[in-house]
Amino acid sequence: MKKAIILISLTILGVYLIDIFTGIGFGTQHFASGVKDAYLIGSKETLKVSNVVTSIVVNFRGFDTLGEVTVLFLASMALGGILYKKRHDVGERSVLFPSTRIVMSGAKLLFPSIVLLGAYVFIHGHLSPGGGFQGGTIIATGFLLMLITYRNYSVSHNRLSYVESFAGILFIGLGLAGYFINNSFLANIFPAGKLNDLFSGGVIGIIYVAVGFKVAAELTGIIYTVLHEKD
Amino acid sequence: MVGTPVLFIVIPLLAAFIIPLTGMVWKNSVRIIPGLVLSYMLALSVSLMWHITETGTVVEVIAGWKPPIGINLVFSPFSGFLATLMIFLGLLVWAYSYKFKRNVDSEPALKYFILLMLLVTGSVGIVLTGDIFNMFVFIEIVGISGYGLTSFYTRRDSAEAAFKYLFMGSIASTFLLLAIMIIYSQLGTLNIAEIADKMPMMSNKLKVISLIFFILAIGIEAEIFPLNGWAPDVYTQAPGPIGAAFAGIVVKSAIYASVRLVYTMFDLSGALDLFIVIGLITFIVAETTALRQERLKRMLAYSSIGQMGLVMVAFGIGTKEGIFAALFLIFNHAIIKSLLFFSGSYLVYNKKNKFIKHVNGMGKYLPITSILFTIGAFAIIGLPPFAGFWSKLAILTAAADSKMLMLIAIILTVSILEAVYYLRVINRIYFFPKKKSTEAKKPTLNALIVMISLGIIIMVIGFYPDLITGIIDRAATDLMDKTGYIKDILTINN
Repeated sequence: MKKAIILISLTILGVYLIDIFTGIGFGTQHFASGVKDAYLIGSKETLKVSNVVTSIVVNFRGFDTLGEVTVLFLASMALGGILYKKRHDVGERSVLFPSTRIVMSGAKLLFPSIVLLGAYVFIHGHLSPGGGFQGGTIIATGFLLMLITYRNYSVSHNRLSYVESFAGILFIGLGLAGYFINNSFLANIFPAGKLNDLFSGGVIGIIYVAVGFKVAAELTGIIYTVLHEKD
Repeated sequence: MVGTPVLFIVIPLLAAFIIPLTGMVWKNSVRIIPGLVLSYMLALSVSLMWHITETGTVVEVIAGWKPPIGINLVFSPFSGFLATLMIFLGLLVWAYSYKFKRNVDSEPALKYFILLMLLVTGSVGIVLTGDIFNMFVFIEIVGISGYGLTSFYTRRDSAEAAFKYLFMGSIASTFLLLAIMIIYSQLGTLNIAEIADKMPMMSNKLKVISLIFFILAIGIEAEIFPLNGWAPDVYTQAPGPIGAAFAGIVVKSAIYASVRLVYTMFDLSGALDLFIVIGLITFIVAETTALRQERLKRMLAYSSIGQMGLVMVAFGIGTKEGIFAALFLIFNHAIIKSLLFFSGSYLVYNKKNKFIKHVNGMGKYLPITSILFTIGAFAIIGLPPFAGFWSKLAILTAAADSKMLMLIAIILTVSILEAVYYLRVINRIYFFPKKKSTEAKKPTLNALIVMISLGIIIMVIGFYPDLITGIIDRAATDLMDKTGYIKDILTINN
């Protein structure tokens, strides 16, 4: 009975949602004004950033990104606090069966290129699709590969913590520099440069690199904490 | 002026990133720095409160993009009042838990203060921001620090409570995001002022569905009746001071969000009865449930939910007197419920289950804590010489002015229930013999100072309500002034 009621109400909700969202007309021109034009023009003319998504994420709505970075920081911190074990309690990673030689050599071979790809993605975040969050995640997957392949591979928690903190401080430091120099938090303090250059967009590229480091360190920390959870 | 509103967010975040580094060198910095940051925030908010009495609302743009393009923070009499209240409570919670049972040597305790600081920051962010997506981000920050703090004791029950909260919080986020999406797809903006300005352009069907999603999402955080299943567990399982933080800080920010949406964004000035109905149901159900509780913190949790229902009712009256009463009740509830949580957790300190019967006879062994709990209980019932009396009176007069006599009858009847369950506890404290097995735990000095200062504030507001009514009155006027809010933000030039 209970299940039936839940099912019926979920169906009603689903039908209603489909009705609403098919009626919106995504991808069509359906509102004349709005902030989108300001974003498109501002990104090209003022900020000189060819990837509009990046300029929105890091500059126009950079405050949200700072919040999202904090959310990730909080998640990794809360997880570390909940799954905390005293140092000598840290058990072996639960590995069902050891990796074969092929996987081990392959992982060693792939790891540097994964990290390099991640770095490329966040360094070019303002030029091509991608950015700090994506690049950081790619790097963390590299560490995940190493952690599940090698039983004794370990990452220093302190070092992760350094990277995390310094990247966060760099983000906020650049924002505060804008606050003191240009009177507005996160305002651009460097010359904008030329469109499509690597050194364009002023602080945007640097902030995205900081975000990349931070995300990589945090996700690696989360993976490491969870892998060491004993049952 | 010590700074601008953006520093409310930036300084704590900067501190949160620095603390792990300083913690490696000097362990005590982990609990000292959050206190310093919260004190700085309090100084900043008080000075901004002075500043806005002369210059009017402060609107700050971020990254140099004027609204509606960029994100903006609004420090108005209304949001400033709530922000100051939250930061003040956050500082008290910090001082109360400074010498926590689990001392600094245990690593999770290091995280406690950072999580607490970010909980306050997120709530202040919700109140100050002028952008709905930014609000969503801050709700996430509050949520995640809330989940972390709930499961702080890493017991089975607290994990369950945190998981429940996590589940409800995720549902809330989903619906909030859906609502934001619908609004952006129709109006092409995320700025609250511009949405309020353009709201008539939206079709009624979409307006209603996005309002429902918003109320659903924020109702979960604001503990509105059918959506508050997580709250009692969280209050029971979280450390005592965190209960106070939830009641005084998190829920208040959610109430702010719902009021901002209903009054400014959707402008439901004709249909506020909805609030009265929701609020009354919450009030009645929560107070009758509180009557049946056996655990002290659970009882306080239900009482807290009930009070939030009453706040909703007061907002639903819709007149300026109603809003004034609601804000006054928010203020009183914040200080009184914090005192109750603070002193209540010492009354049942050494017991695992924290049943109400464990307070038996504590009046003799913990005289000051018991007196303070009694003051808090009398104040929340609304007995005359205490602060709570004035806010309850304000609600009743607001209802009387709007000719809602039935409402007065219901509120007064339910208040009797409230009196019954609080007086029952006080009866046990003073007139029941103490069981041999219960040991009284003396409060630490800083906890005692915090509780006594809260008690003094309650008494002082009780005798001189004029100290606070001026600020609340300005805040209420500010909330009613929708066109002023839109004008302040959209015509900013700096």
